[in-house]
Parts: sequence; structure tokens; C-alpha cells
Amino acid sequence: MNPTILFQTTLNGLMIGGVYALVAVGLTLIFGVMKIVNFAQGEFVMLGMYVSWMLATFARVGPYPGLLIVGAVMFALGYLTFKLLIIRVIGRPDEAFILLTLGLSIVLQNLVLVIFGAEYFSVDTPVKDEAFHVAGLSLSVPRLIAFVVALLLVIGLTLLLNKTDLGRAMRATAESREVATLLGINPIRCFTIAFAIGIVLAGTAGVLLTPMFYVFPGVGTLFNLTAFVVVVLGGMGSVTGALLGGLIIGIVEALSSTYISLDLSQLFTFLIFLAVLFFRPSGLFGGATQ
Amino acid sequence: MRPKTQRFIVPAAILVVLAIPLFVTVPYYLHIMFMVFLFATMGLGWNLIGGYGAQLSLGHSVFFAIGAYTAVLFVVYKRLTPFVGGVAGMALAVVAAVIIGLPCFRLRGPYFALATIASGEITRTLLLHSKDFTAGANGVPLAFHGNDPLFLQFSSKAPYYYLALFLLAAVFMIVRTMERAKVGRYLAAVREDQDAAESLGVKTAWVKMIAFVLSAAIVAACGVIYAFTVGYIDPDSVASVNLSIEIAVVVIVGGIGTLWGPVLGAVVIVLLTELTNMFLGGVRAGANLVLYGTLLIVVILLKPNGLISFFDKFRPKQEAEKTQVAHGTHA
Repeated sequence: MNPTILFQTTLNGLMIGGVYALVAVGLTLIFGVMKIVNFAQGEFVMLGMYVSWMLATFARVGPYPGLLIVGAVMFALGYLTFKLLIIRVIGRPDEAFILLTLGLSIVLQNLVLVIFGAEYFSVDTPVKDEAFHVAGLSLSVPRLIAFVVALLLVIGLTLLLNKTDLGRAMRATAESREVATLLGINPIRCFTIAFAIGIVLAGTAGVLLTPMFYVFPGVGTLFNLTAFVVVVLGGMGSVTGALLGGLIIGIVEALSSTYISLDLSQLFTFLIFLAVLFFRPSGLFGGATQ
Repeated sequence: MRPKTQRFIVPAAILVVLAIPLFVTVPYYLHIMFMVFLFATMGLGWNLIGGYGAQLSLGHSVFFAIGAYTAVLFVVYKRLTPFVGGVAGMALAVVAAVIIGLPCFRLRGPYFALATIASGEITRTLLLHSKDFTAGANGVPLAFHGNDPLFLQFSSKAPYYYLALFLLAAVFMIVRTMERAKVGRYLAAVREDQDAAESLGVKTAWVKMIAFVLSAAIVAACGVIYAFTVGYIDPDSVASVNLSIEIAVVVIVGGIGTLWGPVLGAVVIVLLTELTNMFLGGVRAGANLVLYGTLLIVVILLKPNGLISFFDKFRPKQEAEKTQVAHGTHA
């Protein structure tokens, strides 16, 4: 086995794993606080990619300078989705929420198809083909930026959850909605903010991916399934778990597609997923919320 | 519906449905009706576990794919009639259901749904990967050699129409019998409160497994007749998450845990998606699916008991109450 290829593959996996982690952290935040799985998370990644593509095409704002604008748009979308749809199924059985977000994912994906067509778009940045070369390994700049920004956002979220009143209120709501209410916390407000932040993280992941992935209506599906796997691996509701899970899945996918077969790389992801669900349902790393 | 009117309407409806192919000869219209019957049948099957058993499965395409691939590959490699290959496919689907069910029934809520999605994706990946055996993404076409009932090959759509209608009728009777039998009541107990049912001596694992296995066999049979009607199968059409979701959506839109819900849901969903596709598909691909997703959202928000609940007021009181109970309390 050629060690350079092994290190290169692992490195590539690690970098893309950072983006998986970002999508999954959004999902796990929503799950942790509200105890519900958002089946449309991947579609918000896709929307982030389209907003970024529109900024680049119509306003000549590249993905990295446009990051904040996309973040704001995604916050608004997350807020609206919560107020128009999600809030109506709070307190109903799990199935209602799963089916509502499944419906939302079908609508979003096909609405984009209706508006923009099935074309594959790509977004240009000046650093698209730049790469660092160290010790025979090459590290592409967009991948590095995606990894670093993803990491910073996850650290930022951890700080928000642990060091601010809002974060403490969200964690209290995650522990027990009733107790939080008794403490004077407004759980619906926490749900709204957690949901909107989760959507912002998905959309930001989309922006970071545009220099590496084509933008098309079905692109979110890829990230939906991976995000579920990562979240379960890290323990539903655990932010650190989702971060580590994302990195692990990134590396596993890269290694299995290099060394075993490209079309089987997803198979290993799903087998790990089922194994964790059956044998360690609280995730690989324990499973305390947060 | 009052029993008296029901006694008149049902036979009349049966006659109309039986006579349709005599008057409608446009293959596309007959194909739409075929898809209505197929989804109604799959919905009835899915409802056994997803509705009566309250286990939201999003992986039923596994069984559809197993039925379709087994019967088709038996024809391709062994020149064996689909009447044998189809039964083999159903048997394999039952085995798959046991393999999936044993570990998955320990999971609840979103975990069960996620595990079934993963089972579906594993099946699709394996079909794509074993290129020498299943031709991978290229799919398997069935060459047409002229009319041959033994191999389910007909130049007209009408025989397929009757085949699907017959399967629908048979499955409808099976589900109706089950609903009224002991198994049906056990399933209802599981749905209401799994732990309570267990403590009353209901073997919940067994009851769920029986429902799951039966629903797998039904959906596999649908996969077989789909494959021979369309004459071509590939992993993305018979083993996709979207198919699994559509089977569930048909039941949810129609009315989960009810006998007529899946039938109504299939009529609404298939007609809606096919007709909008016919009128808008050329101009705007995806418009039909926007409507389909919107319908699902609207039903979840406004009619959680499905469109069938519009008919509650026409039904005997006792039955209407049964639907209410069907979805009120399980969490």
C-alpha cells in the first residue's frame, strides 16, 4: 500500500468530513432541542448552494464574500419554515414531523427544478484550482477553507450553547421542556432559534461546497442521508459527536471509494449506520445531550 | 355510507371498473389505471405494518425490487415463468423482511424510519454494484416475443389492467379479513401502546413480524407485475427511496390505518401526478411532484386522518370512531 495515497485519501476524507459535520451539527441541534428529525436538512444545503450560485451569477459576489448574505437568507428561510409549518406539528407524534419534513423536501427539491431546470451549474472562485503542496501531499484550497470554516462554526455553536443565556436556555429546553417553562424560558422561542440556526448551518455548508460540487436540484439528497448517518454515529443531539462523526464518515467514504470501489463507498456508510443503531443507539461517544 | 346505499354502489363500481378496458383503449390511460391499482395494492400492504402496526417504514422498495428482480432474472437466466419466479421473489422478500424486521423492530420513532431507509439504500447499492448479475445501472430489459400468457407478455395493456385489478381485489380481501381477525386486534393494541400490549401478553414482536412479512410479500407481488407490465427494470426505478416514500404517502394521504384509505390515496396521488405530468410535464418537469409534496404537507397539517376522513359522516358511527382511534394517541 502506497503511504502517500493513503495519507492523501485520508486528508481528502477529513476535509470533506468537516462539511458533513457542519450539515450534521445543524441536524443534531434541531434534534437535541426539539427531539425531531428534519428530513429536509439536505434540501437546505441545496438551497444554500443555489443562493450562493445566484449571488455569483447575478451580483458577482463569490461564495466566500457572500457567506454572510447566504447565512442571513437561510436564517430567514429557517424562521419562516418554522413559523409556517413546523410549529403546527409540535406535540404531535414523531410520524407527523417526519412526513411533514419529507413533504417539504419533495416540494423544495422540485420547486427548484421547476424554477431553474435540471441543469448542473458551477460556481467559480479565484481559488477553485489552487492547492498547497506539502511532503508530496496536495491540499486543495476550497477543501481547506470548507474544513476550517466548518470547524469555526461548530466551535462558535458550542460557545453559544455553553456560554450565553440563549444557549443555556436552549440546553435547558433540550433537557426538559416542562422544567424550562417553569424557569421562565419560552420553549417555542428556543425551538425557533434552534431550527433557524440548524438551517443556517446547512445553508452555509452548501456555500462551502459550491466550489467542489455541481449545483443541481437533487444534490441535497446526497447530504440528507449522510447527515442522518453522522448524527446517529455521534449520538442524536450531541454537537461534538456530530463533529467527530462527520470526520469519521468523511474518511471512511474516501478510503472505501479509493481502496474498495466507488459505488460501494455508500454501502459502508450505511452498514456502519445500522451497526451503530443496533448496537450503540446512543452513539459511539456515549450520548449525553450536548 | 349507509349499508343500503353501500349494497348498491359497491357492485356498480366493480362493474364500471371491470368494463373500463372495453371502452378505453388508449394504452396510456389504461397504464394510469394500472398504476392506481398497483399503488392501492402496495398501500394496502404497507398499511399492515405502517398503519395498523404504526411502524413508519420508508424502505418498502426493498421488497418491490426483490420481487421485480427475482422474477425478471429467472426469465433472463433460466427461462422460468414469472408465476414461479414471482412466488420465489415473494419468498425472498419474506426472508428479507425477517432479516430487516428482527433488528429494526427494537427501534422506535425516527430511528425505525431511518433504519428502513438505510436498508433500501443498501439494496439499491448492491443492485447497482453487482453488474455481472443485474447489469447494474443499465437495468434489465425484457425482450418482447409476442403474446405469451405464461411469461406475462401481452401486446395490449388490458391483461395487465385485469392482473393488477385482480391482485388489488385479492389483497383487499386479505387485509379486510386480517383487520377483523385476532391479528388485527393485536396490531391495534401494539399501535395504541406497545408496552401495555406486551404486559397484557400480546407477543408484540411476533404480531409486528407477521404484519411486516405479509406486507413485504404483497409489495413483492406488485414488483413482479410492474416489471412485466413495463418490460424494463433498473435499480433507480424499483429500489429508490422515492418509491418507498410514495408507497407510504399514498396511505397517509388516503387515511392511515383504514381499509379504504390506501385505495383513495392511490387514486388521488397517481391521478394527480400523472395528469399534471401530462399537462405540465413537457413545459415544467417537477411541477407534478411539487403538487404531490404540497398535498402531503396539507394533509399532515389539516387532515391528519387522511382524505378518507371527509367520508366519515357517511359511514356508520362505529367505523368512523375506529378511524379516529387509529391515529389519536400513539406517540
